[in-house]
Amino acid sequence: MTEPVPIAMAQGSSCWGCYQSLIDIHLNLATVLPLLDIKYWTCVADFKLKDLEGYPDKSITVGLYEGMARTEEDIHLLKLIRAKCKILIAFGSCSCFGGIPGMANFSTIEECNEVKFRNNKTVKDGELPTENLPAIAPVVIPNRDIVDFEIFLPGCPPTSSLILTALTALLEGKPIELPPHTVCHYCDREKKETPIEKILRPYEGIADPDRCLLEQGYICLGSATWGLCEGQCVSHGVTCRGCFGPPPPIMGDQGAAAISMLGSYAPLESEVLADTVHDPLGCFWRFTYPTSHLGAIRIKREEAKTK
Amino acid sequence: MTATVTISKEWIPRIAAFCCNWCSYAGADLAGTSRIQYPSAVRIIRVNCTGRVDPEFVLNALDKGADGVLVSGCHPGDCHYTSGNLKMRARWTLLQMAVEQAGINPDRIRLQWASASEGQKFADGVRELTEKVKNLGPFRRGWQ
Repeated sequence: MTEPVPIAMAQGSSCWGCYQSLIDIHLNLATVLPLLDIKYWTCVADFKLKDLEGYPDKSITVGLYEGMARTEEDIHLLKLIRAKCKILIAFGSCSCFGGIPGMANFSTIEECNEVKFRNNKTVKDGELPTENLPAIAPVVIPNRDIVDFEIFLPGCPPTSSLILTALTALLEGKPIELPPHTVCHYCDREKKETPIEKILRPYEGIADPDRCLLEQGYICLGSATWGLCEGQCVSHGVTCRGCFGPPPPIMGDQGAAAISMLGSYAPLESEVLADTVHDPLGCFWRFTYPTSHLGAIRIKREEAKTK
Repeated sequence: MTATVTISKEWIPRIAAFCCNWCSYAGADLAGTSRIQYPSAVRIIRVNCTGRVDPEFVLNALDKGADGVLVSGCHPGDCHYTSGNLKMRARWTLLQMAVEQAGINPDRIRLQWASASEGQKFADGVRELTEKVKNLGPFRRGWQ
């Protein structure tokens, strides 16, 4: 048997869903785990940051970073794991594109603090915590602008089978080959006719289980999204929200592509569209705001403020 | 005799204009041959149809340093490809909402219809957008 591969797994600001998905490979863990020499994984074992700091540079073969870099500590951890690892994987959509925590950039840091701490509806006399906590970054910058990554593995979370495919290929030293198709490729629903006449909110009407959701009027981002999920949501009757980000080359502007797609499918009057789509930024850029053009403009503006 | 060169200190915005081949590009041409004056702030890019303009082009232009973006095409119903401009109109609504939500003044972007015979209308549209953008000031460059 070959030597186990040294691996480090770090977590920034995120929900731990991606590592949960990794653990969800269940019995396959029995084959994968002996191949790994876990150097750092604070979620499952008692590692401290100084353990990671103690390793020589580039001594760990594979590193995974989950989540955004929201706090100063996250940014330090991200730079640290980059220095220690030969191959660094952006693990999950937050790490690749900004994901859900990236939507914090819709508001300024003061507005965020106001809602979260000072005027939190479930807290009395809220105040901004200052002790024993890492400082918060004024604006969320996408991870790829802080360090370089070798591999981007998107998904919210990346499916267990995707993680298994990627990890197995990596451990065997083979290139990770992933199909480039969008979600529509995996969707079995029948397409009949376009353009669509009106746009429905998710709670309106009852969707035909066999027909394309977009054609029925529900906004589905399937055609603008990388289908590594193999169409999980659309095959269970839920519209695609775009969690795997844009298809390869993966740093396109997913929201702009989705708007382009919707314009072709629903060339409706302006007033009708404005009445039915209430939150375009949150609808089309939900997972990719920080790496999109609009997000980049926002980041530059917020940074200019602090200079 | 020495010529004196005066360099204008006035800031001139940079505006990316996407014009459709069949109407507005010809309209801009007509404005030129008719000697109609309009601000030199626009850089015209010819596209086959406004339906070809991906919202990403507009956002990318703003991200890369344009102070404003103009999209000009055939009147609704007059599209050379029957419905390209209707698609752009739908995209534009969403794009405008998104741009405003992201904290960018939607006056920086403009969608207009100008046919091949409406050189004056094209020039007026350019002038109006340029004035608005001038009042708003430089976009990205103003922040640094």
